[in-house]
Amino acid sequence: MKQTFTRLGLVSGLMMATALPVLAQDDPVAAAQANIDAYSGIPEFTAPGEPFDARACMEGKSILTVPASSAIPFVKTIADHKDALAESLGFEHAQWENQGNPTQWIQGIEYAGNNGFDLVSLLAGADPRFFEPQVKAAQEKGVKVVTSHLTGLELDAPAGVDANTAIDYKQAGKLMADWTIAQTGAKTNALIIVSNEALSTDSLTDGLTEAFAKCPDCAYEIVNVPIVDWATRIQPTVQGKLQANPDINYVIPIYDSMSTFVTPAIAISGKRDSVKVATFNGTPFVLDLIREGTVEMDIGENLDWIAHAMLDAEMRLLCGMEPIVDSKVPLRVFSADNIDEVGNPAEASKGYGDAYVPGYRALWMLDE
Amino acid sequence: MHKSDLSYQLERFGLVIVWLAFIALFGAMRPDTFLTWSNFSTIFGSEAVLVIVTLGLVIPLTAGDFDLSIAQILTLVSMTVAILDARMDLPLALALPIGLAIGALVGLINGAITLYFRVHSLIVTLGVGTFLHGITLWIGNSQTISGVSPMLMEWVIIQRVLGVPIAFYYAIGLAVAIWYMLSYTAFGQQLLFTGRGREVGRLTGVAVDRVRLTAFVLSGTLGAFAGILYTGTTGSANPSSGTFLLLPAFAAAFLGATCIKPGRFNPWGSVIAVYFLVTGINGLSVLGFRTFVQDLFYGGALVLAVMISQVVSGRKDRGL
Repeated sequence: MKQTFTRLGLVSGLMMATALPVLAQDDPVAAAQANIDAYSGIPEFTAPGEPFDARACMEGKSILTVPASSAIPFVKTIADHKDALAESLGFEHAQWENQGNPTQWIQGIEYAGNNGFDLVSLLAGADPRFFEPQVKAAQEKGVKVVTSHLTGLELDAPAGVDANTAIDYKQAGKLMADWTIAQTGAKTNALIIVSNEALSTDSLTDGLTEAFAKCPDCAYEIVNVPIVDWATRIQPTVQGKLQANPDINYVIPIYDSMSTFVTPAIAISGKRDSVKVATFNGTPFVLDLIREGTVEMDIGENLDWIAHAMLDAEMRLLCGMEPIVDSKVPLRVFSADNIDEVGNPAEASKGYGDAYVPGYRALWMLDE
Repeated sequence: MHKSDLSYQLERFGLVIVWLAFIALFGAMRPDTFLTWSNFSTIFGSEAVLVIVTLGLVIPLTAGDFDLSIAQILTLVSMTVAILDARMDLPLALALPIGLAIGALVGLINGAITLYFRVHSLIVTLGVGTFLHGITLWIGNSQTISGVSPMLMEWVIIQRVLGVPIAFYYAIGLAVAIWYMLSYTAFGQQLLFTGRGREVGRLTGVAVDRVRLTAFVLSGTLGAFAGILYTGTTGSANPSSGTFLLLPAFAAAFLGATCIKPGRFNPWGSVIAVYFLVTGINGLSVLGFRTFVQDLFYGGALVLAVMISQVVSGRKDRGL
C-alpha cells in the first residue's frame, strides 16, 4: 500500500513537474514573471571562455579603443575602465578621443595603422559600416579591427571586422515586453519607440516582438525616431499617439535616454497614472527617475563589467584564441523594489554585485 | 494704404486660414481624437519653450541681428539650474534668478563683441553659442542631470488653466509684452528703425548701438527663461537637446513674418507659426503617419507658406 502511494506520489510529482513549464508557457503572465525574476537579482559571473595568462601573452601588445563618442558618459566610462585594466595588466591601451563624428573614427583607425597598434576596438557604436575601406586598409597593415558592444548576438560581424563581441540585446527586448505583460496581466498596449539606424535596435525589436507574440491580448505599435530627432520628435510623437490611442498603457523607449522626452509627453497628456515607462540601458539619471516614480522599470548593464568583458575578448583575439561572440555581460532589471541598491544619486556600476572582479582575475590567471 | 485691400488681408491671415483648414482636415479624418480639448491642450501646452525661443529671436531679428547662441543659452541655463537645484541643493528662488542673469550676461557679451569689434552677429553668436555648449558639457560632465525639484515641474507643466499646462500662458504673456513693446513703445519703434536701416536710424537720432545691445540682452534673457521652462518640462537637463530647437525656432520666426504684419518679424505671427507647425505634426501623428512625413510637412509648409505669401502680395521685394 505504502509502495502504491509512493508510486502515485512520484507519478503525480512527475506529472506536475512536466505540466508546470507547460502551464507557464500557456500563461503569458507566469512566463513573463519568471523571466523578470531570473534577471532581478544580483547577477552571477559566467566565464566567456577558458582561462589564459593575460599578462604574459599581452606583453608588448597594444590596443587602441575608438569610442562611439567621448562625450557620451556610458561609452567614455567603459573606455576609461579599459585604460585602468590594461595598465594593471601591463600593456599599452589608448583611447581615440572624439565627439561621435565618423571622420574622427576614421582618423583613429588610420592613427592605429600608422603607429603600430595591434588591435583597434570600435566601442559601443563606432559603426565600421561608415568606413569599410579604412577597416580593410588597417587590416592589411596587420591591425586587427573588432567591434565591441555594438550588435546583438544574432548579427554577424559588420563590415568585415575580425571579431564582434556582442550583448544579449534580444533578451533585453524580451525583458521590456515581459515586464509590461506581467504588470498588466497580459493586457499590454504599448507604444515602442526605436531608432532604426543603431545596430542594436534590430535585436531589441526582435526580442520585444517575440515576447509579445506569446501574449494574444497584447497590442503594440513601433515608431521610429532617428537619434538626431530625439529632442524635437519624441515628445510630439508620443503625445499624438497617446491621443490617437487612449488604451496605451505602456511607452517603451528602447534606449533609456529617450525617457527625457517621453515622461513630459505623458505628463502633458495628463496620463501619468495610466501610462507607465519601461526601458533599457541603466543610465544613472533614468535610474533616478525610477526613484522619483516617473519611470517604472529600467534594464541595466554594469559598465565596469562591460570593460572587463570587452578587454577579455580583445586580448583573446591577440593571444591567438577563438574570438568571443557572447560577452556574457549580464542584464539586471531595476524597479522600485531594488532601486536602493544603485546609490542615490545612481552610480553607473553600482547594483550589480562584484562577482565579475574575482571571476576575471581568475580567468586571466592574475592570482597565480 | 493697404488696410482695405483684400489681398493684403488675405496675406495677413493666410497662415491662420491654412492653419484652420488643417484643423478642419485632421478633424474630419479623426474627429474622435483630434477634435478633443485634451488634444488641443496637448498641442498648446507642449511647445511653450519653442514659442519663447522664437520670441527671443524676433527681437534681434527686428533690429537686423541674428542670435544663433539662443539655443545654447537655453541649454546652459537649463543645465545650470538643474545642477544648482538638484546637485547643490540651492533653492529655486536663487537658482532661477542666477539662470536669468547668465542669459542676460551672454546677451551682453554677444552685443559687446558685435558692436565694439564690428563683427557680424551671425559669426559672433555662432562662436559664442559653440563656446557655451562646451561649458554646458563641461559643467554637466556630458551627463543628463535629473532630480530637479518637483516644484519647478509643478509650475511649468503640472498646473493647468482650462486644461492647458501653465507654460503656455507664460509664452502668451510674453507674446503680449513683446507685441506691446514693438507696437507702442519708443524702444520698439527704435528697434524697427534700426533693423530697417541703421544709417537712417542713426541720422534720425536713434542710439543704434544701445538699441542693438538691448536687443541681444533681451534675447539672451528670453533664451534663459526658455531654458528654465525646458528644465521644468522634462524635470532634468540634457547637455544637447536644446540645440535642436534652433532651426525650428528660426523656421517659425521667418514663417511668422509672412502673416499678421507681413514683411516684419512679429510676435503673433511667430506664435501662430509655431502652433501651425505643431498642429500639423500632431495631426500627422494622430493619423498614424511615420515620422519622416513630419519632416516633409515641416519643410514643405515653410517653403509653401513663404511662396504663397509672395504670390498673394504680388511678388514684391521684401528685404527679409
